[in-house]
Amino acid sequence: MKRSAAEIVREYGPFAGVEAVHGVTYDGTHLWFASGDRLNAVDPDSGRIARSIDVAAHAGTAFDGRHLFQIAEDRIQKIDAATGKVLSTIPAPGGGGDSGLAWAEGSLWVGQYRERKIHQVDPETGNILRTIESRRFVTGVTWVDGELWHGTWEGEESDVRRIDPETGKVLEQLDLPAGTMVSGLESDGADRLFCGGGSRGNVRAVRRPRRG
Amino acid sequence: MESLITAAARALEAGDPLGALNRVALRNDAPSLALRGIAMAQLGDLPRAKTLLRSAARAFGPREAVARARCVVAEAEIALVSRDLSWPAKTLAAARATLEQHGDLANAAHAGHIEARRLLLVGRLDEAERTLAELVTCPLPPASQVVRELVRAGIAIRRLKTKDARAALGRAARAARQAGIPALEAEVESTRLVLDTPAARLIARGEARPLRLEQVEELAASGALVVDTFHNAVRQRSTVVSLGTRPVLFALARILAQAWPADVSREALMSGAFQARHVDDSHRARLRVEIGRLRAKLRPLADVSATRQGFALAPRKTRDVFVLARPVEEKHASVLAFLSDGEPWSSSALALALGSSARTVQRALDELARANKVQSFGQGRARRWMTPPVPGFPTGLLLPGPLLKT
Repeated sequence: MKRSAAEIVREYGPFAGVEAVHGVTYDGTHLWFASGDRLNAVDPDSGRIARSIDVAAHAGTAFDGRHLFQIAEDRIQKIDAATGKVLSTIPAPGGGGDSGLAWAEGSLWVGQYRERKIHQVDPETGNILRTIESRRFVTGVTWVDGELWHGTWEGEESDVRRIDPETGKVLEQLDLPAGTMVSGLESDGADRLFCGGGSRGNVRAVRRPRRG
Repeated sequence: MESLITAAARALEAGDPLGALNRVALRNDAPSLALRGIAMAQLGDLPRAKTLLRSAARAFGPREAVARARCVVAEAEIALVSRDLSWPAKTLAAARATLEQHGDLANAAHAGHIEARRLLLVGRLDEAERTLAELVTCPLPPASQVVRELVRAGIAIRRLKTKDARAALGRAARAARQAGIPALEAEVESTRLVLDTPAARLIARGEARPLRLEQVEELAASGALVVDTFHNAVRQRSTVVSLGTRPVLFALARILAQAWPADVSREALMSGAFQARHVDDSHRARLRVEIGRLRAKLRPLADVSATRQGFALAPRKTRDVFVLARPVEEKHASVLAFLSDGEPWSSSALALALGSSARTVQRALDELARANKVQSFGQGRARRWMTPPVPGFPTGLLLPGPLLKT
């Protein structure tokens, strides 16, 4: 396993009126984050909030190319990114103990915080297709280039780690500075990982190490 | 943080404990237990809240030090509100240190405020002030600012610094409006009421009139000779003769001061200070001795001069003599003063706060209960005493927002 300190390349926020960041995603143009009763789209260049959708947003956020998926209480809402309307909901696999959401390969990937699990879920029915075990509390999940990354928080420490999607084995670990929480994780498809900052109300961009 | 926990915490923060309970009522993981505990506290079920917070602290385990420390702080606040003053202050101090170490300054400050409120309640003003001063400064949420300013106001009121008290209350009122919590605004108002209602009676030349706290403060600075029945002392500015352990001498001083500038007959002094129905020679001898003792004690402030029929007070450096008395003088007034905060007190907490023995307090409580001036509930060690319900003093301070933050 490779282990190193996370290289923070940029910090967004804290934003006015945002108490905490509960989930993050990226739609190719904007960085989205969940802040309790709102989804906010941030322009990654200016760092300003460009748009908001009023919707319950208590944990993980994901984007499938057209829809935003957002965990609220014990459900996953499917939201039309253009209109902000909730189109449908499915039950969340952790029954409310959910904390992290990603879209990849036609499935939703949901973190179950204290159970230290990541579930692959059918986005139509909410059925669990399979479950990966982690060793620490799961706070965020993302896929990029076939790599499964997740954020952790336990014992007052946070890191983002790449794990083997078959075995759950940790392959690589980037440690965040002490006391820095990761709440929500998303890749921009290239070399940045966006990490929600929990009650600090900010989002950090961390460099994803190049392979090879 | 987890989805449902976030939703429940947001409901609690918005003042909707039932909404929070709806979301986590059936869950027994650590954060759910903590949230249920705080919700129950806000709903007034303090014993249940305490149990839940304790199990939450256990369930969080040693690696989640900050979450555990927050549970300890919440439990301490419940102990304070239930007037369980024997609660170990060390545990709270340790929790506060943990929160400070991990940068949770808002909750560390909350822990400090609880400690300061406890010290204020038991009259340890210097320590309360030191505790507030020690807190690592950070921008506090409005609800916490209210608490801090109320503690400052409380200290200033006990110290008779009404200007400082009013300034602190002004800041508290602003922060309470900002917080938008009506219970907090009500709490500030009820404290302000303390400043605006008569706090004492001034007796001079046989006449009495009510005095507000500000006037009491002016009196203390005026240079008049004051016989102070609140502290059982005779004082003039900073010269204080304490007669707390000499009730007979204090009674004599008070009778003489009330009559000043006239003198008081030996008979009146004896029946007033010795509670003697029939005065005989032994009382006369005793009066001579006691007057001698009083003279020695009062030497820096006044003389006690003999007159044809008795004695008169002769102040040395002033032409004003006042008696400062409670607005309503009755037996056990100091016990009632503590109970009048509207909270349930244990008799041992009262004894601690009054600095007297548990037996004395118990006797006073029994007597007051027979007169229907206090009521009790619970049995044995869990027994609590209250004055019959009076409006005011909400427990709105209980567990404000910051404890819920992840």
